[in-house]
Amino acid sequence: MSHSDRVRDRYADIALARKVRVVVLAIGVVVTTAAFYYALTSVGFFAANIPRYLPNFLGALGDFFPFLTLSFPYVDPAGFIEYWTFIEERNLIWGGFGGDTPLLGEAGITLAMGFAGTVMGFPLALLFGVLGSGRVTPFPFNFLFRGVMSSIRAIPALVWALIFIPLGGIGPVTATLAIATDTIGNLGRLFTDELEEIEDGPIEAMETTGANKPQTITFGMLSQVTTPFIAWTLYIFEINVRIAVSLGIIGGGGLGQVLSVQQGLFAFTNMMATILVILALIISVEVVSQRVRSTLRADEETQGLVSLLLGFPQRMAESVLK
Amino acid sequence: MSRITVDGLTKRFGDTVALDDVSFEIPGDEFVVVLGISGSGKSTLLRCLNGLETPTAGTVRIDDAPVTGPRDDIAMIFQQHNIIGQMTAYSNALTGSLNRNSFVRSLFQLQDADDKLHALDALETVGLLDEAQQRARQMSGGQQQRVGIARALVQDPSVLLADEPVASLDPGSAQQVMGYLRTAARDRGLTAIISLHQVNLARKFGERFIGLRNGRKVFDGYRDAFDMDVIDEIYGDIDTEELFAPEGSTSGDAASAGGSVRDGPTGDTTEATPDGGSRQ
Repeated sequence: MSHSDRVRDRYADIALARKVRVVVLAIGVVVTTAAFYYALTSVGFFAANIPRYLPNFLGALGDFFPFLTLSFPYVDPAGFIEYWTFIEERNLIWGGFGGDTPLLGEAGITLAMGFAGTVMGFPLALLFGVLGSGRVTPFPFNFLFRGVMSSIRAIPALVWALIFIPLGGIGPVTATLAIATDTIGNLGRLFTDELEEIEDGPIEAMETTGANKPQTITFGMLSQVTTPFIAWTLYIFEINVRIAVSLGIIGGGGLGQVLSVQQGLFAFTNMMATILVILALIISVEVVSQRVRSTLRADEETQGLVSLLLGFPQRMAESVLK
Repeated sequence: MSRITVDGLTKRFGDTVALDDVSFEIPGDEFVVVLGISGSGKSTLLRCLNGLETPTAGTVRIDDAPVTGPRDDIAMIFQQHNIIGQMTAYSNALTGSLNRNSFVRSLFQLQDADDKLHALDALETVGLLDEAQQRARQMSGGQQQRVGIARALVQDPSVLLADEPVASLDPGSAQQVMGYLRTAARDRGLTAIISLHQVNLARKFGERFIGLRNGRKVFDGYRDAFDMDVIDEIYGDIDTEELFAPEGSTSGDAASAGGSVRDGPTGDTTEATPDGGSRQ
């Protein structure tokens, strides 16, 4: 079968392009492999003797999971009791009625740090987020506020806690302040992004009613984004509770601090008990926040609080069965 | 009621001439329909009239005061409603009173009872009093546009502008909304300028007509002069018979410009310009 010259030329072009692609791909694989090897060398991966320590780790697993046994039925309920004893003894969940803050256990303190930090950071996040939007502040000046938020984000919450040490050492107070600062950077950025998405129409409509600038911003812009703003705030709250755990590890109090102390004592069973409480706390916060967010998104009639609470088991069951 | 004077209005966007030396005067209390195809300059004209756009040349004066930016005596109704979906119909209507209230008062809805009753009055005018507490985004397109009209009325304007207020509505809702607009303008003695692209609606509700084509004014006159030739002039070489057909076959008054015009939803039957042209 004969082919026209144009077809043959085209075929040659395609074959060449294919060869070039294979060479480029090969170079990419070689470079990535070399970089990976170099990275492992720099972290001292090959100098470490993981096989030698593996038995240690396996031994510790027995402490981490005291309910596991080597003989049938492989599960010993006494192990769970060990967890529970520690949780009870150290008031991880429930603080009892004495003390300065009745009822709040260590989990409550972690939750409180995350909550208070979110509430403290919110107003400034709102202010900076709104002023960072190009529609509110004219172009070069909005970058002043965006820049402040970027700088705040560039420094992790852990480092903010270190920066606040002179305010009275590391503790729940400085941890809360660090979370609040972190919230300004992250939540503010989400607010700014959300404001880029809104429509011009309602803004113009508010201008034509003779509204002043703050009124135009509030009714024309912010009223379009109240739902996403609440949803983002809840999302940041979830993250802040997680940050509160890690700040506890450097001494910020709450579950993180308990974890760090037990780690220092090599009390691995107690560590795992604390980790289980952390898991339960974070998951509960997420479940609640998810529920609230999906209720907000759903275009339903606003329900009263009572019917919201009474209807919860049924909605939960419906969701589970879906 | 306000007198509107437009003198040599020209607006260019880069190389595009949206409006080319448009002049007219509206003495007040008139229901004016601006006609033209898409891109003929209708929206630009209305946006210049209320100060959302700054003219390249020429002036717009309302009662001798030049328009330089949005002002509270000119209310605007938009094609896409531009009402705020998250808020109730009532709250939306109440935003019409922003110019009379401070930021804090409006933020916490602390307006005078007068303003609040005014908002409910306006909702009653557009037939939405029962739906006042419904969220705007749950309403139909026609209802949303009526909320937009209510907001404009709460503003207590002397001039009412509407930029293709019924373009996104079905024919039934479109007639209803136009009916409410005309009733509101008449009852409150407003100068109304409405842009439309549907000839049959224009003929049904308009009193005076301004035709735009490629940014130029090609017609300005009352019902008696608004005939087939004019429509040809505005719309160019298209089958204009078709444009007449729906109106002619449904209400039967199209052939003679200006018979009795059936009123929309309010149910009052009014003889609109029975002499075929003179203003009321």
